[in-house]
Amino acid sequence: MTTYPLNNHEEILNNAQSLRWEIGADFHEKLMESIYTDASQIADRAVIRPDKKPRFDLDRTIDKLVTSRTWGFPLMILLLTIVFWLTISGANVPSSMLATLLLDTVHPFLKGVSASIGVPWWIDGLLLDGMYLATAWVISVMLPPMAIFFPLFTLLEDFGYLPRVAFNLDNLFRKAGAHGKQSLSMAMGFGCNAAGVVATRIIDSPRERLIAILTNNFALCNGRWPTQILIASLFVGALVPAHLGGLISALAVVGIAVLGVLLTFVSSWALSRTVLKGEVSTFSLELPPYRPPRIWQTIYTSIIDRTLIVLWRAVTFALPAGAVIWLASNIVIGGNSIAGHLINFMNPFGLLLGLNGVILLAYIVAIPANEIVIPTILMLTVLVTGATGVGSGAGVMFELDSDAQTLSLLQTGGWTLLTAVNLMLFSLIHNPCSTTIYTIYKETGSKKWTWIAAVSPVILGFIVTFVVAQVWRLVESLL
Amino acid sequence: MLDSMISLVITFAILAAGWVVFRPERGWFWQWQRGQKLTAKVLQEDALKHIHQCETHGDKPSVNSIAGALKVSPDEVTRVINNLEAHDLLQFEGGDIRLTPAGREYALRMIRAHRLYERYLADETGYEETEWHDRAERFEHTLTTESANQLAARLGNPTHDPHGDPIPTASGHMVEPQRILLTNLKLDKPARIIHLEDEPETVYAQIVAEGLHIGQVVRLIESSPQRVRFWADGDEHVVAPIVAANIAVMEMPEAPQQAQVKGEALSSLRPGESGRVVQLSHRIRGAERRRLMDLGVLPGTLVSNEMNSAAGDPSAYRIRDAMIALRKSQADMILITKEETQ
Repeated sequence: MTTYPLNNHEEILNNAQSLRWEIGADFHEKLMESIYTDASQIADRAVIRPDKKPRFDLDRTIDKLVTSRTWGFPLMILLLTIVFWLTISGANVPSSMLATLLLDTVHPFLKGVSASIGVPWWIDGLLLDGMYLATAWVISVMLPPMAIFFPLFTLLEDFGYLPRVAFNLDNLFRKAGAHGKQSLSMAMGFGCNAAGVVATRIIDSPRERLIAILTNNFALCNGRWPTQILIASLFVGALVPAHLGGLISALAVVGIAVLGVLLTFVSSWALSRTVLKGEVSTFSLELPPYRPPRIWQTIYTSIIDRTLIVLWRAVTFALPAGAVIWLASNIVIGGNSIAGHLINFMNPFGLLLGLNGVILLAYIVAIPANEIVIPTILMLTVLVTGATGVGSGAGVMFELDSDAQTLSLLQTGGWTLLTAVNLMLFSLIHNPCSTTIYTIYKETGSKKWTWIAAVSPVILGFIVTFVVAQVWRLVESLL
Repeated sequence: MLDSMISLVITFAILAAGWVVFRPERGWFWQWQRGQKLTAKVLQEDALKHIHQCETHGDKPSVNSIAGALKVSPDEVTRVINNLEAHDLLQFEGGDIRLTPAGREYALRMIRAHRLYERYLADETGYEETEWHDRAERFEHTLTTESANQLAARLGNPTHDPHGDPIPTASGHMVEPQRILLTNLKLDKPARIIHLEDEPETVYAQIVAEGLHIGQVVRLIESSPQRVRFWADGDEHVVAPIVAANIAVMEMPEAPQQAQVKGEALSSLRPGESGRVVQLSHRIRGAERRRLMDLGVLPGTLVSNEMNSAAGDPSAYRIRDAMIALRKSQADMILITKEETQ
């Protein structure tokens, strides 16, 4: 080794240059590896570990069971079914209590107050019938299931079971080019897509995380279950004898949810081979030891972190949506309300898709929250058909007490079995709600991915409903 | 009925047309877009690169060799050459095509852009090895000198591309190492792979399929016109001589330790068995490699297979008292030596 005078930096630089060529290509890697290795060896010598506990016997036993080839999958399906069943059946009571309180008690009370102090009808309508009602619908439909689903889900996570689900399902997701942990964000998406998108943070690989974000919309969320259940029981359940109706309509809803899961796999597969090709991909999945869940802490944090944040975002979007719906139904131009004009304008396209203008408009105004789709459809149908005796005026959302009433109103609006089937399909395959879109933007920080996530499902929805409608009509005309 | 038929047919026609035009990579739109980029500039730059390559390997470039390399007609090449000469980038010396100093600098700049971009693709993206060259071939023409310098700084000023070729520095300095083709290596002499030629594609795909990579220690067992047999990291490989001729090695003075350790893949452990990590394959790169090191997968670490998932893959390994699930494709690339279980 030659020594150089320090002031001669030209020469030093040249020397460094040629030395760099000599040390070869992978010296960064070698250096990094040796630093890590040294560190781990020092740690092994210096750190004294307390005597090991009897080798996690309970953990082993549970793991053997939940990852066994025979019992792994049935156990997983059983547990998730219990969670969904608890959510759906448990939410019914508080949901109807909230609805009674917010819609049947507070709303008339507020109307009475505003009438007694002489508020102009349009302010009263805009604030109470528009903004208040939309928000009340969203809260009463959304809050109870989320307040049950998220804590249950977090308990399973806390216990350590969810990582095992990801472990078992990874093979399936790997074949679709995705990460096993996507099974968790997908399951979370059945509660709420916005929460599902946030849940993708557990995926540390950027590419797999984007796949999980972009496909989360295909998990049928809580806001869409009521639509599916109502329409299935009105139209699909009515096809068979009454005692089978419940079973058949339940199967139809499950069929839609399963179709959503299949679409998740297919679109993950397609994304990972097209637009997401070349994104960095890594895989590692930690299986933490089982812990007794901290129940109160879990309930507290999951309600604060997940339920309230998602609810707050939904409310901030539902308020303006309510105003828009009310204004559109009450501002009259040339003898027809704005809503009427829009419905007439979109009707031909809607019919081509086996839907109608009312449904399309309902989906546009319900972008903020899917919960208000059915009330909006009913309100708009009354507006268009001029049906009397139902509803409480233009721009006032409502739901009918009996299914028979709802069915006859919808049939007056020209609905057929095809409309119902395509509404169920479109409810599964359309743009995510604005809360989810906003969350996607927050999580990805990218306008491009947000656009793709928002627009591509609705295009797919148009294609699917169109093909179904045309094939349906073709078969109908042949029979 | 007719309406439905017609609209269905029209929709499927539109969808099919959309697929043909926009399908990834081979869609007409992308092909057209790529064709647009095959401008005069690209041809000139590719010609400069080819001439430079011939000069470094001591070959004589000709109109025909350029036409072959660029896949265009000799007439087109003549036009390109005249243009380059007009710009003082090359000159004719007694009928031979030679680069001027300016031309050489230009060519080195292209090579730098190409190899830097390949390094970037290998370290920071998830593209397959077989795609690096083609992508870099397209991208090199759009990378300005300045953005190439920025890219180099971001990658830690790498000296070699992922195929083992040296990357020219910003000042155009480049050292070509002494290479021996695998076919010419002496029998049973340890050597390190320093270069895998990425052209032609079909041969490179075979090299990748064999699992060979830069830095691997090889030992030649047999070299005949029919086949070339050699050891690499404890595995025996048999390839055709045409494949072996695309593998360049550097003789190593003494047998290093690693060549003697016979590693097995981590994926060969059955539940309950354990082993000690020997090394991570070079094919685990970038973020993936860092992640595994963070988790403690390092030479000397004791790793035991705890269980397989209900679907068989992935498997959970106990690494430093944590249970980490790794996919089979990853465990294949981690070499271990089996240990007796206590």
